[in-house]
Amino acid sequence: MYGLDAISAHNGWQLAALGISIVFTGLIILSLAISQIHKVLELWDRRYTYYQRIRKLVQRKHRSEATVSDPVLPKNVKESARQFKLLIEQMGEPFPLPKLLDFSKKCGLLHSHSSINDLLQAKLIIPDGKGYFFWNHEVEKNIKVSMKERSKI
Amino acid sequence: MPVDINIIDSLNLFEDLSHAELKEIASLMSRIRVTEGEAITRRGDPAHSIFILLSGNFMVFFKEGRSYTLHNKGDIIGLSTVAIPFYYTGTAVALSDGVVLSMPGQELLRLIESNYVLSGKIMKKISQIVSARQPFVTGRC
Repeated sequence: MYGLDAISAHNGWQLAALGISIVFTGLIILSLAISQIHKVLELWDRRYTYYQRIRKLVQRKHRSEATVSDPVLPKNVKESARQFKLLIEQMGEPFPLPKLLDFSKKCGLLHSHSSINDLLQAKLIIPDGKGYFFWNHEVEKNIKVSMKERSKI
Repeated sequence: MPVDINIIDSLNLFEDLSHAELKEIASLMSRIRVTEGEAITRRGDPAHSIFILLSGNFMVFFKEGRSYTLHNKGDIIGLSTVAIPFYYTGTAVALSDGVVLSMPGQELLRLIESNYVLSGKIMKKISQIVSARQPFVTGRC
């Protein structure tokens, strides 16, 4: 048996069709891959930026986990909170922070800058958004409540 | 002391810059230790340097006692170095010991003028910060 009969008898047409479809499928996949190369290259070019973004996201996540507020203050901060509250009561609210700093220096308070910083960090002194500051009575109340609860325990 | 490029890269102001641009910026910067109560800028002085907070806490105060405080890594002090009026509009005092990066304003301006892509990336962020802080300077909140 020769020629077309032999091809038919040995599934030649099906094999040819399969071969053609394999080749064309390969070509289609290759062309799709080539058409997307610019995206891969862009990703490669900006790898440093993407890496930094991911790193920042992770850092931000860690930071937010680390800044869960604890109303308990160190003893020295409690003491300076008491002193600064008295000064603020004399000055009135809202008060300018530089004035509080000057006032505390004149009154002979030690480490005025870092004490004010501690109170800012503890959110006992909060900004009014217009350049002046308030004493945060809510946080003060929370601290007192938590102190009472701890003393009961 | 040369500044580590990774430190610069982690700062919000420079987050979109390429490695080469970051290298150039890093070469202009120096690390300065600041102690509690130290003033790094004084209102009315010519704005010669821009400062970027790495650690520590600062209070920046203006006329009539208006002020804001800075506590985060990447916060910037002395933007008048690259923006009008080119003199410090506020006095920045350290509320705690810390470390800042200092960059001469002239050098930064030269770099910005010579590279328009870099200029676009940095100046956009600087103008956002300046407009957010403007009410503290002018008192029009």
